[in-house]
Amino acid sequence: MVKKKHYRPAGKKKEGNAARFVTRSQAVKQLQVNLPLFRKLCILKGIFPREPKKKVKGNHHTYYHLKDVSFIQHEPLLGKMRDIRAYEKKVKKAEAKKNRDRAIILRQRRSTYKLDKVILQRYPKFIDALRDLDDCLTMVHLFAALPAIEDRIDVKRIHNCRRMSHEWQAFISRTHKLRKVFVSVKGIYYQAEVKGQLITWLTPHPLQQVLTDDVDFNIMLNFLEFYEALLAFVNCHLYRSINVKYPPILDPRLEAFAAELYALSRYFDASSRSSVLDPQVSSLPGSSKVDESELRLAQLQYQLPANEPGALMGLVENVPGEDEEDNDTMMCKELFKDMKFFLNREVNRESLLFVIPAFGGIVSWKGDGAPFEEDDNSITHQIVDRPLQHELCEGRKYVQPQWVYDCVNAKKILPTRDYLAGRELPPHLSPFVDPKEEGYVPDYALKIEQWKASEILPLPDVGKEDLEDPQNFADLEKAKEAAKNDKKLKALQKEYFDGLKVELNGVPPSSSISKTDNQISAKATEDREESDPDYEQIAKDKEELELLTISKKKRGLYEAMKKGKKRKHDNVEVIKERKRKLKESQKSRDG
Amino acid sequence: MSGGEGSDLEDYPSIRDTDSEDEESGSSENEGELNTSRNDGLAIDHGNEEESDSSGLHEAVEESDSSEDDEVAPRNTIGAVPLEWYRDEKHIGYDLTGKKIKKKEREDKLQSFLASADDSKNWRKFLDEYNDEEVEVTKEDMKTINRLLEGKAPHGDFDPYAPYVDWFKWDDSKHPLSNAPEPKRRFIPSKSESKLVKRLVLAIRKGLIKPTKDEEEEEESVYPLWGDDSNSTEKDGSHLSYIPAPKPKLPGYEESFNPPPEFIPTQEEIDAYQLMYEEDRPKFIPKRFTSMRSIPAYENAIKECFERCLDLYLCPRVRKKRINIDPESLKPKLPSRKDLKPYPVKCYLEYRGHKDTVTSVSTEASGQWIASGSSDGTVRIWEVETGRCLKLWEIGEAVTYVAWNPNPEYSVLAVSVGQDVLILNTGFGNEEVQKKTKELLSAERPTTPDDTATFVSWIQDETHEGTRLRHFKTVSSVEWHRRGDYFSTVVPADILFSVKISYMLSLSLPLSHITHSLFLHDPISHLLAFS
Repeated sequence: MVKKKHYRPAGKKKEGNAARFVTRSQAVKQLQVNLPLFRKLCILKGIFPREPKKKVKGNHHTYYHLKDVSFIQHEPLLGKMRDIRAYEKKVKKAEAKKNRDRAIILRQRRSTYKLDKVILQRYPKFIDALRDLDDCLTMVHLFAALPAIEDRIDVKRIHNCRRMSHEWQAFISRTHKLRKVFVSVKGIYYQAEVKGQLITWLTPHPLQQVLTDDVDFNIMLNFLEFYEALLAFVNCHLYRSINVKYPPILDPRLEAFAAELYALSRYFDASSRSSVLDPQVSSLPGSSKVDESELRLAQLQYQLPANEPGALMGLVENVPGEDEEDNDTMMCKELFKDMKFFLNREVNRESLLFVIPAFGGIVSWKGDGAPFEEDDNSITHQIVDRPLQHELCEGRKYVQPQWVYDCVNAKKILPTRDYLAGRELPPHLSPFVDPKEEGYVPDYALKIEQWKASEILPLPDVGKEDLEDPQNFADLEKAKEAAKNDKKLKALQKEYFDGLKVELNGVPPSSSISKTDNQISAKATEDREESDPDYEQIAKDKEELELLTISKKKRGLYEAMKKGKKRKHDNVEVIKERKRKLKESQKSRDG
Repeated sequence: MSGGEGSDLEDYPSIRDTDSEDEESGSSENEGELNTSRNDGLAIDHGNEEESDSSGLHEAVEESDSSEDDEVAPRNTIGAVPLEWYRDEKHIGYDLTGKKIKKKEREDKLQSFLASADDSKNWRKFLDEYNDEEVEVTKEDMKTINRLLEGKAPHGDFDPYAPYVDWFKWDDSKHPLSNAPEPKRRFIPSKSESKLVKRLVLAIRKGLIKPTKDEEEEEESVYPLWGDDSNSTEKDGSHLSYIPAPKPKLPGYEESFNPPPEFIPTQEEIDAYQLMYEEDRPKFIPKRFTSMRSIPAYENAIKECFERCLDLYLCPRVRKKRINIDPESLKPKLPSRKDLKPYPVKCYLEYRGHKDTVTSVSTEASGQWIASGSSDGTVRIWEVETGRCLKLWEIGEAVTYVAWNPNPEYSVLAVSVGQDVLILNTGFGNEEVQKKTKELLSAERPTTPDDTATFVSWIQDETHEGTRLRHFKTVSSVEWHRRGDYFSTVVPADILFSVKISYMLSLSLPLSHITHSLFLHDPISHLLAFS
């Protein structure tokens, strides 16, 4: 029967999805803007398409909710953007008429817009902003590493990104909020915990970035525009929260040496001192503990030229601790306590300058503006990333940078033996992996766990042997079991097909089935341990029965879940297989 | 050229020296001016005797010129001819004596690039093609060039704003150069200018001209946006709920610069990826770097960031409940077999006697007897408790179904055999029951001209002391009504019979499917058939 076409009277409004959702082109038409401007507004306002339950216009359209569209329509930015566009025409006109003076004047008076209201609207609470900060930080850090491109990326913006990324890092480092670091091929992942929010961001390696042509920089710049504003406000809020004046004034000399982070940490130090000195701003708890002489010392040191005071970083440690610091923060603060690091020329200075102070260490580097020199006797660790060439200094360890990151992730000072300069490094493991979910734990993770568990660090060789053998056995056993299961499955399959054949031939089914059943059970009992064959059989039967009784809707879900699990399991199996092969090849090489 | 410049510099101080000597011996009237204009050669000169000084200056200039000439003295004398003419020659031209000047050998590009990378001054060097030599622009030259670009005098020593010293001595001269009186316009303010000023003033007053903004003012745009979080602004219901974008996936072991060796695929596996479909191929192939220093820049950094941007503003977002449960929990909970106990686990009794498959078993209403039919053509009645066979009927044909009459007043068993249904007297029960049963079975069967007669015929069976109902086709099962008044038979050939024993009434129903089992419901009008 043909369904009757729905008829809507002429005056009646649309209802349902047709009334609530519009396609993108409809939205653009309604707003009377062009597509790039619509995109920009969507990006700034954080408006995304939504999925209606019924797509009235077809599947290949993107749908926006009508409320979202009217949300843009009432945005003051929209009017401002229109004005700016009209103004640009004025400038163009002046230029076309060769009225240079007027064009210059007009350009000077160009109006700008601010995003503060939009940010407040999108993130009514500070926590909301922190929750969405991941992408913002990743992008700002990426642009901080990009070269300026003519007509596309302004130098000023890149400098701004660089500055703000350093401000953020300085805050994290100063308040010891960094939790995890992971050096990947894509860059360095950092994870910090600010106000209970885990914020993860990626910084590219400090190298010349590969520029590609297949990206639309306009879109990225729109995002960047918003992110820059957001990060500035977030930084401002965070700096205020620890009583530091926000746009920090940096030592121009240090800035020139590209050591902004260090400059920022010095700035922090100085400002916290001054706030302590200021009687009105004594909100910093425990400030009274710091005595006057120390204050004067610190102030003096702030005024001293940049490269002289080495003890200043040490003083940072003594800054009155905030009461609200949780256990984690305390632990992070204490990790590299009483350790002095020196970075060689070839290591990634920016990253280590960020990470080491974040975990309470003192750090210096080779180059101008460094707080202490290489020949300082109190240095405990020197970070080297190439085979040692010159003679070593007494009383310090020459380690590779991975040691610092691994220590940070393990929250424990690991033995430096494997990490000494020139050695082949142990694997660098991701701290973001949940071993339970992954289903596979690499050897080195187990080893670290063991170290963590035992307070006294064992000799690495002994630990290794102990660990590897059980793993091996377990693997072997598993492989055997798998082989067994395979065999059994094949037998079962054969039985089943035989049964089918018999049935087809016309023999009464009851007898043959019972026979095969018997055979199956017999086989199963043979394969399994002899002790309780009945129980195994029962379990198997039950499983089958349950599968039969599961409802159709749930069965699909169940099967999908099983499939996902199996895929994961297969991946783990592949890895284990590889490991086994590697071991074998190693053994054969040794033997 | 650099040498020449150097000599120039040397020359100038010498001039100045002579000048200063002159100054000292010079007339006193120009002293003040001289002090101010210490670096202005011209001004200095005219404080003294013109001829001697000017000649001196001239000499100096000549000297410098000649020195410059000496230096620059074009090695090449080809003149202003296009240099292409000599491109393929081995010489670049001829020197003053007419000898060929040979081309110098060029460094190859790599070497020159390396040299240039090492040399910080490289950007100042350029190649003079005419003379075929590399020329370095000295700092002084750079300064000169910069000044020229700015439209200043080439020499830094030159002061364009030095007080004007009139070289013409008016004292002795009788006639000025021009005798015209000063014009009036030199004394009255300009009309056009005042007009312009008036206009500007008006515009400023009206607010048409605004002062230019300071850039620093804009910098102050960052302020603490969020107050204390305590003043939580409630979300008004007018907006849709904001769905935060899902966070990007965190990297696993395989993304490490130095992953455990088992995470790195072997060469064969990498080759195998090429055979996969593009979508199935792993996006990221783990790699191992021996040190952090050797990690290269990630080539897809910008692209991945861009893709993330696209996802953020182009992807529809839907809140979906993620089921984070164990798949096993989806299965319904079945009672375990242990809980179903007690159930027989051991064979307690065996009823032996049938020689072929037992096709049907039926229990008597009291539960004392079991009737069983077998395909060996026998019907047996067993005592349940002992397993003794009490009765045996040899029917001769495979029995398909047996059913006791549930009514305890009759002791009747219905047996379906081939096309027939036998109603047998079992011979159990007390006399009253036996009497009733015999009465029932011996009752006269009317041969009414019914429709059913064509389907069923009643025959008295003498051998088994029962009644035989012959159907036109094979009967598969028999079912009694609960009261024992009716029974029904299933004939797989689409027809179901119901026979009422006591009233001898029967009806037949056509069924669309082959019926397997029946159930007679209590009110007689209902009959359930299962197919």
